[in-house]
Amino acid sequence: MRVLLLPILLACLGAGLVLAQPAPVPEEGADSIADYRRMLREGNPGELWVARGQQLFHAPRGPNAVSLEACDLGLGAGVLDGAYAALPRYFEDAGRVQDLESRLVHCMVNLQGFDRAQLLQDAFSTGERESDMEALAVYVASRSNGMPLDVQLEHPRELELYRIGETLFHRRSGPLDMSCATCHSRESRRIRLQTLMNINSPVQVREVMGSWPTYRVSHGTVRTLQHRMWDCHWQMRLPDVEYVSDATVALILYLTEQGRGGVIDVPSIRR
Amino acid sequence: MMTLNKTRFAAGLAAITLMLLVTACAGPESGKADASGKVDYTKMSAKELGEYLIFESNSFRLDMPTQEGTTARERMMQDDLQMLCSQTRNQPSPEQAGRIIAEARASMKYPEGGIQLGDWQRGGNLAWGGFGFRLADQSDDHSRRAADGACYNCHALSPQRTGGSLGPSLTGYGKSRGDSEATRRFIYEMIYNPHAYFPCTNMPRMGYKGVLNEQAIADIMAYLLHPDSPVNK
Repeated sequence: MRVLLLPILLACLGAGLVLAQPAPVPEEGADSIADYRRMLREGNPGELWVARGQQLFHAPRGPNAVSLEACDLGLGAGVLDGAYAALPRYFEDAGRVQDLESRLVHCMVNLQGFDRAQLLQDAFSTGERESDMEALAVYVASRSNGMPLDVQLEHPRELELYRIGETLFHRRSGPLDMSCATCHSRESRRIRLQTLMNINSPVQVREVMGSWPTYRVSHGTVRTLQHRMWDCHWQMRLPDVEYVSDATVALILYLTEQGRGGVIDVPSIRR
Repeated sequence: MMTLNKTRFAAGLAAITLMLLVTACAGPESGKADASGKVDYTKMSAKELGEYLIFESNSFRLDMPTQEGTTARERMMQDDLQMLCSQTRNQPSPEQAGRIIAEARASMKYPEGGIQLGDWQRGGNLAWGGFGFRLADQSDDHSRRAADGACYNCHALSPQRTGGSLGPSLTGYGKSRGDSEATRRFIYEMIYNPHAYFPCTNMPRMGYKGVLNEQAIADIMAYLLHPDSPVNK
């Protein structure tokens, strides 16, 4: 897979560089990044993660040597099409609201017998180790491609967590007095060269929320929303937010509801 | 205001802890328990629930050691300003804004020998660096070097490089403003605690929170004001 990946990437980067050539002005820069994304779409390396996720999902794995086909992602055991579009949601069997990744962890522990602590520790790819979770997440999400984001928000626990997510989004703390809103509540702003989503612009939130998990060129892997939550907290100089913790699910639920109607199209590709 | 908020916060926290203990004991069924009137966590404000979730739900690694010698728990605790600005979504009422400004003014500490400019080259490195206060596995080691200002994340500075646009452009700052006593004072105070001028601004309190020391502030000021600095070329 790695052998295949490199020439594809180089070819894509080459194409991107030609397009990006005259880009000293930020606005033009933003345009060429959009072009770059369109070009890369044809040969998005993230598709390899989708294929690997498919393999992982349907193969018998873990101490119990069973596949994830009996996993109920909200629409019934084994129903994948459209399941991601309605996540996060409350699960009776877990007694809590779960997002895509916390639900996958739940199934991998309860069906396949994996060790929860180990799953959490291995959730993000590093230079040395490729994450199974990233592949599984993008595969399951891709089975909702073309469908609009449509969380339920009916169960009291869902409503409760949504309100918490909204509060956390605006909660300033730490040495830099930062909250998510510090960067994500105004129009057309950049941190360094990176354009920032504006939470008050439904069009932007729909586009962003419909396009994760995403292939991060600079990371050389697919990254998930859980990783985005962790990364932002690290950048804000706040303590590590735990993988699939209630705080992450609250934020993801809030963001997904703000992005309601956004059409799922993954894996996308980002810097 | 300080005492009042602390008391209210403590009382709130106690109430939350109690209520969530009840909720936790009810377990997965608490949603139903709520409908039957036994546990009504929906009566709790989102803020109260959020505070509980941060400090009691194992969502954050609160025991991580920080560069300032505390644990990450302290980083998650809000001071009065952070609390007020969060609650008002950075839009304080005129009365609240007046209080914030007064408190920010009272918080200012000035260098003993007056506000001097430092070394603009060092200041440039500080302005364009992002080192400092990051936690996680490879936590920034402040014994190796002091924290940077990370100004470039939000501000355009020298014309040769692209900075962020969350804050106003500072390109040509010294050229357009000159280097008067008043300008120096304004920049120093903006870096030290900008809420003295813009209550609930997004800009961090770099001096007040101890992110930058006096020398670092002087160096960054030189980078903004000195005629030889790339900012003014």
